[in-house]
Formats: sequence, structure tokens, C-alpha cells
Amino acid sequence: MATPSTVSTEDKRSFYLFLLPGAIGFIAIVLVPQLANFGLSFTAWKGVGTPRFVGLQNYERLLSDGQFWGSMSHTLLFVISMTIIPVLIGLVLAALLFDYIRAEFGETASSLFRAALYLPQILPITAAGVLWGWILSPTGVVNIVLRAIGLGDLAQNWLGDATYALPAVSLVIVWIQIGYCLVVFMAGLSRIDPALYEAAELDGAGWWQRLRTITIPLLAPEIFVVVLTTLIAALKVFAPIFVLTAGGPDNATLVPSYLTYYHFFTTQRVGYAASIAVVQTILTIGLAIIFLRFQAQQAGKE
Amino acid sequence: MADIAPYSNQRTETPAAARDMPRRSPLRWLVLGLLTVLLLLVLFPFFLAVSNAVKSSVDYATNGPLALPTGFDFTALKKFWDVADFSRKLLNSAIISLVVAALGVLISLLNAYAIGIGKVRGSRVILVVLLLGIMVPQESIVYPLYYMAKASGLYDTQLAVIIIFAVIQSAFGTYLLSSVLSSFPKEIIEAAEMDGANRWQVLWQVVVPILRPSLFVVGTFFFIWTWNEFLIPLVMLVSNNNQTVSVAMGLTRGQNMSDPTLQAAASLLGMAPTLIFFLIFQRTLTRGVVVGAVK
Amino acid sequence: MKLSTLAMAIGAVVLATGLAQAQDKTFNIWWFEDAASAQGVTWTKALEELKANHPDVTVNFEQKTFAQLQASGSMILNSDQAPDVLEYNKGNATAGLVASQGLLTPLDDAYTSLGWDKILDEGSLTLSRYDELGVYGSGSIWGISTYGEYVSAFYNIDMFEEAGLAVPTSLDELTAVFEAFKAQGITPLALGGADTSGQHVLASLAYTKADDTWISNYQGLKAPLDTAPYLFAAQTMVDWVAKGYVDKDATGIKDPDAALQFTSGKAPVYISGTWNLGNFNSTIKDFKWGQFLVPTPKYSVGSTGNLWVIPTASKNPELAKEWISLLLSPKYQTEQANNGGVSIAADPATVTNPVGQNAAAVFKEIADKQGLGFYPDWPVPGFYDVLIQKVAGLLQATLTPEQFADELKQAYDDAQANQ
Repeated sequence: MATPSTVSTEDKRSFYLFLLPGAIGFIAIVLVPQLANFGLSFTAWKGVGTPRFVGLQNYERLLSDGQFWGSMSHTLLFVISMTIIPVLIGLVLAALLFDYIRAEFGETASSLFRAALYLPQILPITAAGVLWGWILSPTGVVNIVLRAIGLGDLAQNWLGDATYALPAVSLVIVWIQIGYCLVVFMAGLSRIDPALYEAAELDGAGWWQRLRTITIPLLAPEIFVVVLTTLIAALKVFAPIFVLTAGGPDNATLVPSYLTYYHFFTTQRVGYAASIAVVQTILTIGLAIIFLRFQAQQAGKE
Repeated sequence: MADIAPYSNQRTETPAAARDMPRRSPLRWLVLGLLTVLLLLVLFPFFLAVSNAVKSSVDYATNGPLALPTGFDFTALKKFWDVADFSRKLLNSAIISLVVAALGVLISLLNAYAIGIGKVRGSRVILVVLLLGIMVPQESIVYPLYYMAKASGLYDTQLAVIIIFAVIQSAFGTYLLSSVLSSFPKEIIEAAEMDGANRWQVLWQVVVPILRPSLFVVGTFFFIWTWNEFLIPLVMLVSNNNQTVSVAMGLTRGQNMSDPTLQAAASLLGMAPTLIFFLIFQRTLTRGVVVGAVK
Repeated sequence: MKLSTLAMAIGAVVLATGLAQAQDKTFNIWWFEDAASAQGVTWTKALEELKANHPDVTVNFEQKTFAQLQASGSMILNSDQAPDVLEYNKGNATAGLVASQGLLTPLDDAYTSLGWDKILDEGSLTLSRYDELGVYGSGSIWGISTYGEYVSAFYNIDMFEEAGLAVPTSLDELTAVFEAFKAQGITPLALGGADTSGQHVLASLAYTKADDTWISNYQGLKAPLDTAPYLFAAQTMVDWVAKGYVDKDATGIKDPDAALQFTSGKAPVYISGTWNLGNFNSTIKDFKWGQFLVPTPKYSVGSTGNLWVIPTASKNPELAKEWISLLLSPKYQTEQANNGGVSIAADPATVTNPVGQNAAAVFKEIADKQGLGFYPDWPVPGFYDVLIQKVAGLLQATLTPEQFADELKQAYDDAQANQ
């Protein structure tokens, strides 16, 4: 019996109908507001009344705004804690839990660890802020432990010291992000054919080699998705900084999203805030495109 | 998010590591020990929330946040529950998160069906444009959304928040589900079409049953993410009766004062529902996927 | 039907409709003061009386959070969801802003016609008036404050007595008191360096060097910043940190933790505002405590309290005005003082609570010499965050006093030039 291997163009058109609800929603909730925001970036506006057109003035101000450039440089540092570290740790932990722990101690143990490590993702960020504020305070548990083991000299004012605030916030972010990467990678591991591992085992490959030559290449789709989403999240990270340090001390942890929040809602310089948001969005899009190209190249190589 | 393929065999056999007999005993306990230490470190802040939520204010004032409670005092928990009208906030958060999860999954599914299986022209472009939905910082769309909500009479309604988040989350869901569906076995679909099913029927009677675990995973993420959102609910929901749990938590920080045991109580109560939700649906994540019909 | 009967019938219908409308009138009122604070307790009582006086009105009260009003205040006032009367933050950046955006009802008529002018003199109205640009001091009356607040030094009377120290009457004497405690191994001053009390200590010190012109220019954004008072304050604070009067790690702690150091008896002095009174009143049981003003020729950090404002969108402005009258009445001014609050217009003879009596007296002392210097973050929207950042830098020694003053000047002058 002849099976149609290509769909006729008439049939294909009906597929477009399925895109309709999503399209309407997207245009209304994302596209139109983004265009409005773009337009606002050329105005001076207090959020109430009529915006006043000012041309490129906001963008000119941006170029000489030290806070803005500082926030951009901090973003790069947050990429480390939001993307690179969680992905690496997530991979190792996923492999460890899925292979080793599941084998040695059973499914329940593995699930238990995964659930526990995912918990930080569930916690509302406002709660995480309060709790970590207690832990990282000068009289908090980190310093208590350091003093107890004789490393009292290393005790710092973690969130209040401009040198240590960013690493401290990064620590909290890593704590939150690991769970996401872990869960995704573990789910992905479940679709890899165990026969591949057996074959490698018979060839004498150790755990590390199996990880490198089989797990990582086959987990590539998950890795790409996780890296891309965490990268985007890093570029617009807001909540942890809002809750832990409010951009401080002395702007040490300022990021573009916090700066836009500050100008949108506190100083009510809406036009200026809009321009920062535009720059931020363009940079994010640019990075995403570069990344997707890279992903396509890798896929093409196989 | 996971590119969960719904048709490969589930890995139920014990992995190769189990058969490394000689290396067994000492190493496994070491690894377990290290992982347990990691576990305790990760869970420590939660312990803080629990311990401080049941402390009396005097206990906290005397011993600080890190000491174990000297007794159990549920005043903070009760106070937060009453003052914040917590049962109402729970209901609001639950409704909003559930509907967003369902609606978001639905929109993602419809989009992904067209892109992953229908392979409509411009799929690539659509996906990239959708990613824009994930990339926008929320602050940049709040003012326009506010004016739109006011104009349509939806300001201070849960419906506004639901629509906004269903769309935002579905950007991610579409991206994910379409990559899963793009490797969906054509034969199953073609078989159904041979039986005379139209596109709609194929979706609901063939694709969805197989895709169900992935849908649950995506829905679970949506629920949790929406539950913890606070900027847009803070701005869009004005009346106390409409507000969500995350907004209510701001109640514990007054203009000049903040009550620590109250904050701990709020943290505990605020995360308990998502915790329960997650633990229930954890098993779907474990199960991973369902065996395909073809093999 | 006779014409007169018809007219009466129509009249009856109109009357009934009017009554019906008055029947289902609602009154929406919001505030964000903590329910346990002096204001919260007093206002709750007053609201009960208002309800009793108007049984036909449905009174809806919502306890709001400061965070929500700070983030989306303008948005709310610009919509149907605006309440009939609400508490709002005083200052250019908050009340001034929404007043200039046309979102509030002017209260000049009510001030005279409802007798408020007998209770609040012009001096108490400085923060109620805002001009078209949203700058305080002149223009219509946009809000009414029913209480006051100020920053002072809370001190542990028992610890002072044990050390044989008297309440200081000059900055030198204050430094001597600190030194005396330090010599005994006690860090004298509790400070929330990552929070409001940091900038309040700074401002308290700066205001000791401020004259009328400086305050007027500073708060009114009238001229580029004269940094001399802030430079002095910065140098003094750095000096205090160097001498160990303030903990170097104080930059990481928030006000509640600093307050805890005071209430638990560890630090003998805590410089902060009267909003602590409620908490101290209920928490401190182990020692006697009191307040003294940071010694100053004229100006202290303080102001009249948050404002009651009536949105333009208010559906029941008459009842809103009645509410304000109620709070200004002797009955509730005394009530407020008895709850430990700082009443603007309470007769001390009728106040039974010593804390409230003392607070009202101190406030009167400042107000009588017109010494309310207001808060340091008011002139510029967002300056609150700038001050927190910079004070942290100062305390951590990443900024020298000169750099500190310069960076403050930059931020201030930028806003001043771009009004």
C-alpha cells in the first residue's frame, strides 16, 4: 500500500490554525509591549500623563552612565554562576546519581537526592533571600563555622562587603540553579540506551571515560537547551539581587535588570529605563542567535 | 528543559557500574557520604525556615536565628496566616498557577504540534521569535501591560495575570515540546491518517497519550515558576483579595520594621504548597517516559 | 392624574433612588503601618468609630504593604482601583510625584472649612504642600499628617547609670560617652549599616552643621550640593569606626539586627527613628530605656508623619475628609500618644503613657524651634538607595570621606540640574 510520504500543501495549511492561539497571545503579551517599550525608549516619561519625545537622549545618557557599564560587567560574572557552574555540577551529579547511586543504593535513594537538590528551585525567592541573609550575615553560620574550624580570619561581611558580595550572591544562585540542570539531565539520561554503556564497559572504559565519550555527546540536546536557557536567565537575572543586596553594596552587584527596575519604579524615569531594557534585550538576542548558530553547527557535524 | 523522547526504552536495567565488583565496597560509601554532606548543605536554609517559624519572638531575640528553638511557638505561623489572609492567598496562587500550567501546556502543545510534526514553513523563525518571549526582562513589559489591562477592564484581576503568564511560559514550553515532537515517529501518525483521522484527532488521540509524561513535566515546571513569580502579580493585583502568596510575603517587611519569625513563617507557608505539588509529580519525572508503540 | 401627585411621585422616586445610592455607598481605606504599631492600633480604633457613625456605609479596609505602594503607587492611583483615602509616603519622590501627576485631591478648602487649621499650624504643613513640579514646601495642600516622627538616640539607662555617665548635651560629650563604654570593652553604638539607620546617623551628624539656608536648599533641590555638612558627618563616622565605637561588620546587618543588639542589652546606644517605639515598648523588659536627641544646634532628622491623601479617583471624598478630622481630634491624638505614638497635637496633660508623653514632648521641642530637617533621601528619587550604597562603602573604607562626599554630590547635582 502506498503511504503518503509528503503532506500535501493544502493539508499543511491546517497546521497554521494550531499556531493561532499562541500567536495571538504572543503578539498581545510580548510583541506589542516590546514595541511599546522600544518606542518609550525615545521619550521622557513619568509613567502618568503623556510621554515627551526626546530622540536619542536616553541612549546618549546610557553611554556615559557608569552604573550601566558596571551592571553589564557584572552580568558576565553572573554567567559563570548561573550557567557554567550549575551545568558542570549538574552533569556530574546527574551521571553520579543516575548511574552510580541508582546501581548501588537503588531508585529511591537516587530520587531522594534529586528531589532534595531540586528543592531550592521551589523556594520563593523572597524566602531564599531572608534565609540566606541569615546565613551570610557577619554573625551567620558561615562565619561561625569558619571560626570554629580555626579559619576565623577568613570570616567576612559577605553581603555587605563590596569585594565579597558578588561571589556571595553567586553562591546563592548556584544553590538555586543546580536542581534545574540536574533534573533535566537525569530525565535525559533515561533515554540513552544502556547497551551503549555495556559495550563501552566491555571495552574497558572507566566511569569518567563513559561520561566523556557516551553520556555527554548523547545528552547534547539537553545540554544545549539548559545552557541556552540558563544563559538567557543569567542575562536578565533580577530576583536574587533584588532580595539579597539591592544592587549593592555600592553597586557591587548591580545588574541591568535591577537598574531598569530602579528606573521604572523608584525614580520613575520610564523612558530611560526603557532604553536600558532595549539594550539588554538586543544583547540577549544577539547572544542567543550566536549560540543557536553554534548549536546548529554542532548538529550538522554529526 | 528535557528533550524527553517518548519512545525509547526505559533504562530499567542496572547500569554497568553495578558490575564493577572489585571496586564496590569502600568507594560507594565514600560517594554516598559526600553526597549526603552536599544534601545537608543544600537543605540547611530550609531547616532554618522551619526552626525559626516555630520560635517565639523572645527566643529569636535572645538566641538569634541559628539556634535551635527552645520550645514550639506557633504564634508566628498563626499570625501570618491570619494577617495575610493566607487561605485566600493560597487559593489565589493555586488557581492562577494551575490554570497557567494547564493553559500554558495547551498553547505549547498546539504550537509544538504545528512546528514539530506539521513542520510548517518558517518553523525555525517562529522558534527564534518565540525565544524572544523568554528573553524579555519583565520590567520592560509591565507598563504597556498595565495600560492594556486598564483599557480592557482586566486590571486587578487574576485573569490578566493568568493570560500573561500562560503566554510567557508557553514560549519555553513550545521550544521544548517542539524539539520532542520533531522526532516523533511518523509511522504512527501516518497510520492514524490512513484510518481517516484529521489533524485535530491525530493530536488528541494519538500524540497526546504518548506525550503525556512530557506534558506533565512541563506543567509541573509551569506551576512552580508561576507560583513564585512576584513582580507582575505585585503590579497587576491590587486588591488584597486577589493577591498571591508571593506578594503576601512582602507583608512581613514593613516600611521600617521586619519581623524575623514572621518572615520565617511566611517562607515556610509560602513554599509548602509547591513542595507538596512537586513531590506528587516527582514520580512522573522518575518514570521518564512511556514505551513507544512502534518498537 | 393630578400634576402635583405626579410631581410628588417623581420626587419620591428620586428621593428613594438617592437614598438607595447613599445606602450602598462604600468606603475603601488603605494603610500600611504595621497593625501593632501605635498608628495601626489607633487607626483601627478610629475606624471602628467611623463605622459606628455611618452604619449605612460598607467600610472596606485593606492592610497594604509598603513595597506594593512604592512600586506601583502611581499605577494604582491612576486607575479605578484607587481607594477613597489612603496612607502615602511624604516627600517629593512619593507624594510630590503623584500630586504633580494630578492623581490627588487638593485639601485647601477642607483645611479651613473643617477646622484643621486650628489643630495644625502652617509649620506642620510643610510636607503637605507640593507645587506643580512635585517639590514640597509650597503649593496646594495634598495630604494631612496626623503624627510625627524623628530620629534620636535610644539609650540603655541602666548601662549608663552603671558606667556613671550622664546624657550627653554636645557632640563632644557624646564622643566621650562612647569612649567610656569602649574602655570597658563594650561597643557602644548599634548600627544597621546596610539599612536605614546608617544614613540616619550620617544625616543626624550632618544636620548638626546645617543652617537654615543649607536645609532649605538641600531639601528643595535649589542648588548644587554644599558638601561641608556631609563631609563632617562622613569623617566623624569613619572616626567612630576607627575608634571601635561602631562595629566594622555593621555594614552587613539590617536595622532589625541592630535593634536587636540594643534590645538584648548588648549595645547601650542605638540611633534610629520613633518607629521603633512600638517594638521597644513591648520587647524591652529587662532594663530601663529612654531617648535623647543627638546634640544639635537646631536641626534633627525628623518630620511630620506619613500623609493621608485622597485620590482624585476617590468615590467618597467627603467621608475621607471626615476620617482625617477624626484622626486630628483631641480624642484620637491622645489615644495615639497613649499607644506610644508621636502625636502632633496631643495635650501632654491628658496622656497617660510615659513613652507617648515623652515622644510628643521631644517632637514638640524640635518642632518649636522649627528644627525638622526631614530625611536625607528626600530631595532626589532613588537617593535612598544611593545613600545606603555609599554609607556602606564609607563604613567599609572603600570610600574615603572625600570620595563619599563627591559621589553624593554627583548624584545630587545630576538630579538638581535635570529637574
